[in-house]
Amino acid sequence: MARKDYQQKLDDLRDDVLYMSELVLERLRDGLDALDRKNEDLARDVIEGDHEINQLYLDLEQDCIDLLALQQPVAGDLRFIASSFKIITDLERIGDLATNLAGYAEDAEQDRYPDVDIQSIGDQVIQMVEDTMTAFAEEDVDACREISARDDDIDALCERASQTVVRDLIEREVGTDADSDEIETLLQDVSRLLLTIRDLERVGDHAVNIAARTLYMVESDDELIY
Amino acid sequence: MQPVTALLEGVSYVVVVRDLCSYIGILSANSSVFRPIETSAAQAGGDAAGAVADVPQQTTTMTDTAPPTASASDAADAQDATGEGTMDEGTEDALIDTDVSTDGATGEFPAETVIDTRDLSVYYGEEQALKPTTMEIPERRVTAIIGPSGCGKSTFLRSINRMNDLIDGCRVEGELNFRGKNVYDDDVDPVALRRTIGMVFQKPNPFPKSIKENVAYGLRVQDKDDNVDEKVEQALKRAALWDEVKDQLDSSGLDLSGGQQQRLCIARAIAPDPEVILMDEPASALDPVATSKVEDLITELAEDYTVVVVTHNMQQAARISDRTAVFLTGGELVEFDDTQQIFENPADDRVEDYITGKFG
Repeated sequence: MARKDYQQKLDDLRDDVLYMSELVLERLRDGLDALDRKNEDLARDVIEGDHEINQLYLDLEQDCIDLLALQQPVAGDLRFIASSFKIITDLERIGDLATNLAGYAEDAEQDRYPDVDIQSIGDQVIQMVEDTMTAFAEEDVDACREISARDDDIDALCERASQTVVRDLIEREVGTDADSDEIETLLQDVSRLLLTIRDLERVGDHAVNIAARTLYMVESDDELIY
Repeated sequence: MQPVTALLEGVSYVVVVRDLCSYIGILSANSSVFRPIETSAAQAGGDAAGAVADVPQQTTTMTDTAPPTASASDAADAQDATGEGTMDEGTEDALIDTDVSTDGATGEFPAETVIDTRDLSVYYGEEQALKPTTMEIPERRVTAIIGPSGCGKSTFLRSINRMNDLIDGCRVEGELNFRGKNVYDDDVDPVALRRTIGMVFQKPNPFPKSIKENVAYGLRVQDKDDNVDEKVEQALKRAALWDEVKDQLDSSGLDLSGGQQQRLCIARAIAPDPEVILMDEPASALDPVATSKVEDLITELAEDYTVVVVTHNMQQAARISDRTAVFLTGGELVEFDDTQQIFENPADDRVEDYITGKFG
């Protein structure tokens, strides 16, 4: 095989993207776990560890730029590098969302809305990210399309969860004569819960983005990119 | 590369040079590989008038397919010899020696196709240098031909204006139609064909004459010598060289830099107003700045001409061409598509491997 050094750099980039995804998934699981157990130490680890993901993101971005500038990749190689360039951005954003989840852990009040199963939604979006990275590693285009379709279910789940919270808020009919501390606490709990739902839904969106770029990478098909 | 192929490559270049006189002065003799022939030409005592003395003139020996056309009168003689009438000086359709430029068309071709081949094969003796090739070259676009050494890309290019004609043992099968007319038909004058389909070579090869005379040469041999100054200026402007040489038109073309020399050769090729310009690695001997200028020029030329360019530089093909043909070893056209498609998502795995460097 010709261009050994170039081929090695491509292999390295693929390995590094997968390594970054493992790191991000770990943070995502820890963030969700910290939220579930109100574990402040774990939450702090996730938040403080985000710079590691950010640095990895910048390093891989530079690797992509170097490959483009110095190796003039074409065809499948070009699509792989261009896709990786986009995928690491999605992974970095998922890392940010993991820190958000960790940030909610400290004051999260899970019991107020037992019908809203944050952990179940979280498990499903984590599974999506895992599956989409497997699809990337194995260049599995069928999985890419399946993951994209699965996101509709996640969106519906998140919408229902949000409606549950808002409906309760309306039905509760907290009057203006209510205790101001009570209102403030309720406001914070509701806001935090809605943000959590939104963040998990966004993780799912990023998983779909990665699936879309993977499909493009493998088949030059932009069907899922929008 | 197989020895036979290497030998044939050498032969082809020599014969190309010998074909000079039938080729209105695009070649010169400043390359060392041409020297032996120059010597023989001088000994032959050909028309050595003026500064073209070192240009080989011995094509009088090449009487089989390409008549000697060191001058326009020779060309006219050649046309007479075919019994197809004479070429009027003002005739634009100079491809063939009669008025058959399109009348002789035998088949339909898409409106934008200027050259189409059908199962075009080229043999050098027993060796097939080009497998049956069918492709359509669009008008006023840049078509790039890429592929590894010995893949037949230059053979294909030279087939277009019958530069392979005089290679001993070279045989062409199939059709190569220019505006629907097979250029290998008996009634086609290859000399006239080469006026319509000009060529620029890898190594800049201006004549040892003034800049102006280099460009004017092709006009003079065609008796298109009215308004020469104006036409020279026009050609130099089209070749993006005018501003750099307008104050030194009488100085030698050989005093120019390599990149300027190549643009001078391009000016010389376009001065007779061809329809198609064939380029065989036109920038491979140039530095990056000169290469950029030639590449820019190729893009501009495609507004007026059809350009077919052979290049080893895949990035160059990607930069400048609209369509790209990929030939692979064995003389096989493997893929021909929009350049963007070739470089972003080629259909054939062998093309993918070749352009990404996994080939070989």
